[in-house]
Amino acid sequence: MATGLSAIFMANRPALLRFLRARGAGEDAEDLLQDMWMKLEAKDLGPVSDPLPYLYRMANNLMLDRYRSATRRERREQDWAEGAGGVMADPTEDIAVDDRMVLNEQLDQARAVLRDLGPRVEMVFRRFRIEGVGQRVIADELGVSLTTVEKDLQKAYRAMLTLKQKLDTE
Amino acid sequence: MINEEALGWVVRTRDPDFADWDAFTAWLEADPAHASAYDAVMLADSELDSLIPPEPVAMPVAANDPGVRTRRPLRWIGGGAIAAALVATVSIAVLNRSDIYSVTTRPGETRVIALDDGTTVELNGGTTMRFDRKDARFAALDTGEAAFTVRHDVANPFRVTVGDTVFEDAGTVFNIVHTDAATRIGVSEGKVIYNPQAEAIALPAGRALAEDAQGLRVMDIAPAAVASWRQGRLVYANAAVGDISQDIGRSLGVTLTATPGARAMRFTGTIRLDRDPALFFAQAAPLMGLTAVRQGEGWLLQEGPTKEGNGPQS
Repeated sequence: MATGLSAIFMANRPALLRFLRARGAGEDAEDLLQDMWMKLEAKDLGPVSDPLPYLYRMANNLMLDRYRSATRRERREQDWAEGAGGVMADPTEDIAVDDRMVLNEQLDQARAVLRDLGPRVEMVFRRFRIEGVGQRVIADELGVSLTTVEKDLQKAYRAMLTLKQKLDTE
Repeated sequence: MINEEALGWVVRTRDPDFADWDAFTAWLEADPAHASAYDAVMLADSELDSLIPPEPVAMPVAANDPGVRTRRPLRWIGGGAIAAALVATVSIAVLNRSDIYSVTTRPGETRVIALDDGTTVELNGGTTMRFDRKDARFAALDTGEAAFTVRHDVANPFRVTVGDTVFEDAGTVFNIVHTDAATRIGVSEGKVIYNPQAEAIALPAGRALAEDAQGLRVMDIAPAAVASWRQGRLVYANAAVGDISQDIGRSLGVTLTATPGARAMRFTGTIRLDRDPALFFAQAAPLMGLTAVRQGEGWLLQEGPTKEGNGPQS
């Protein structure tokens, strides 16, 4: 492990612990921090340009993974209880014809939602969400302010998440 | 219901450059419910993957279909600016007595126009352009495809008018395709500004922009793939067969149609152009996972491998 990163980990241990607790880790916060330490040791990373944000990002991802697997377990148990079998379909697998029609129908709806947001908002959303480009870069590319990009993203997310909720409850 | 505050933090923390983790921690500490609200939106976000159309698929729309109106999403944004620009152009034209002439190539024919300022414009087949004898910095692409190698002049930029759209060079080699349904530009050197008076989107080398019924989008393009038709090749990354078949028709001078199923398919790779259509399609169609059949004077691209006998079934 890069000595710089380990020194920064040690120096910011209390802050990271505080973050994990605030993030909802509860009494597992110490263990998660230990996991992070092990991962850092195993990885032997080269110099990281922004070490502290990197460590926070890592902690945040650990929490997201935890939440995701807990939710998945819950859904599986629910499916089991409802007798649905609980087999999660891999989206890359061959999909039955009517599922494919449903999927196409949903994509059409998503397309319409994105279109209604206007070309700039749609482009900002695609650049950010699909291509993973940072907001500063997008703002520079389009010659608009960072605030505008952030507002566009919130607008696009709101619309897409609302559509997702609607589709999930249908 | 979407938690607006959590959504705000999702948008911020998802940025690769996000650094204000102290503020995020403070927000999380303000209320134990914040963490789970944030997790819920993050999870919903990760599940959007299957819902975002990977790239808007150009749906084939018949030109005379009255039910579907081709969207020109940008017209209203720059309306004022375009109107003002039109007024300006008209008055300058009157003052300078512009001398507009047009150049047209037949399908399959290419032509190189050298303008007085050292700029060259290469017209692919089936293309109509207008130039101005009095103003070497003006060009209009009315239909078809052209590659531009522009001598850059900061004080007097080269502008290409394409329908309502203006592309302004910043020292550049670029290629524009303009059809009834779409405008596509790819930049291989320098930089082009899309609609400098309105959106002013900068397209550096390696970037491409498409505007069609699905709206406006910017994407990456290999600089070597820009205007590859000049080297007798067509290079694509995840391009719709509908667009490709138009490029082929223009470059080879053949009438080419594609079935709706074939048009919606996508292709990544390089197609070598061949003057002999039969030889060309024998190579190119299987490459795209399609079959080409002769139809009278023209050709039809359809889905699936070659079937025996396309005439009456025996």
